Amino acid sequence: MVSPGSDLVRRMAGGDGDAFAAFYDAYAPLAFGLVRRIVGDPEEAADVVQEVFWELWRGAADFDPIRGTPAAWVTVRARSRGIDRARSARRREEMFVAQPHEDGAVADGRAHNPSTVVEERETIRGVLAALPANQREVIELAYLRGLTQTEIAERLGQPLGTVKTRMRLGMERLRRLAGART
Amino acid sequence: MSVGHERFEELAAAYALGALDGEDAARFQAHVAAGCADCGRAVIDYREALVPVAEDFGEPPPERVRETLLERVRRAGGGRASRLRIENLGAALVRAATVALAAGLAAVVSGAYVGSLYKARLEQVMSEEVELRQQLAEQMRAVAGLRGQLAEQERTLTLVRTQSAGHDRTLALLSDPATRVVTLGGLGPTPRARGRMVWNARAGGLLVAVDLPSAPEGKTYELWAITGGTPRPAGLFNVDRDGKGSLTVPPLEGAHTVDVFAVTLEEAGGVDAPRGQMYLSSKEA
Repeated sequence: MVSPGSDLVRRMAGGDGDAFAAFYDAYAPLAFGLVRRIVGDPEEAADVVQEVFWELWRGAADFDPIRGTPAAWVTVRARSRGIDRARSARRREEMFVAQPHEDGAVADGRAHNPSTVVEERETIRGVLAALPANQREVIELAYLRGLTQTEIAERLGQPLGTVKTRMRLGMERLRRLAGART
Repeated sequence: MSVGHERFEELAAAYALGALDGEDAARFQAHVAAGCADCGRAVIDYREALVPVAEDFGEPPPERVRETLLERVRRAGGGRASRLRIENLGAALVRAATVALAAGLAAVVSGAYVGSLYKARLEQVMSEEVELRQQLAEQMRAVAGLRGQLAEQERTLTLVRTQSAGHDRTLALLSDPATRVVTLGGLGPTPRARGRMVWNARAGGLLVAVDLPSAPEGKTYELWAITGGTPRPAGLFNVDRDGKGSLTVPPLEGAHTVDVFAVTLEEAGGVDAPRGQMYLSSKEA
């Protein structure tokens, strides 16, 4: 069965602006919340979301429902662009502030923002809250900070194999939880 | 399922998270690209599993993002959205007018105001149309330029093919065992002149002459193929300032053998039988 989202994307591919408006209304909160979590600054996040949805409008013809739902299509693109923006901000900061970060995390600048602390607490909710803390930690560092397994191992001072195992177990658990929802 | 595949399956979760280091990511991509449907499916499932994580962060973006995007889509040709917006604008204006009238403020939503809104939109559309026409004209000019270049290249190609065909014919002529090379010597007025005739009865031949004086006004050199004392006209030619001239000769009907080749100076346009001074002649075969 074709999901309503897939039908909207199909219509977008045909140049249907109404379908795009409906698609945006359905998925923009999903993208904005994720990007804001990655880049920190709401203004930056709004710019990224605008860029993401413009790309989705332009690339609607490439969407293949066999390869995932529209929600996954949106989140993959939003996460990728968010990480790009955060990395770019970090490079800018390093160049002009000359205060290199220790671990290369993409959004470390956020740590200087007091509101971030509150957000960090808020992170532990929903499906992520269902994971053991050590699994949740590696998934957050990868998904929201753009760190690779090696970078996470260095940052946490854990063996690479441990990080890989925690990540795999955590993702398997998320997969089971998502399966239980549908 | 091989042990190697199991290792790749373990990478699928990290790949979906974007957490694989460069080399592992490249290997995994190659594995999926090679046709492993199981690993491809696993990545899709893991990505779907991350959607609820993003949903938990869900938060509406500022309204300006929507407005900017829909305007951009409308300009890009998302026509139905623009109609919707205009309809919505119309409906909003009606609502505003009703409220304003009730408040005795009808002038706020006057006809002039509505008119100015649509006028501005119309001017914008017209301006975009002018811009599009200019772009179209530029592209048409570019296409015309490309067509000109193409025609020039086709002419060059035709010339090269013609020259190449000539070279091919010469090569074929020289490599044919039936071809003979005949030397022509200068006579009377130009003892230093000489020529060489490459001749093949079936394919024709080529005459090259040197040290001939330029033909006077109204005159031309004519080549003769003489068989059994009967001369056949074989073509006309002139020489350049250095006294060099050449002539490609087609096969001569009935001339299976040629005893003598000779060159005379004749009236421009040539004659059927030699009447003028003879400048070059081969020895009788």
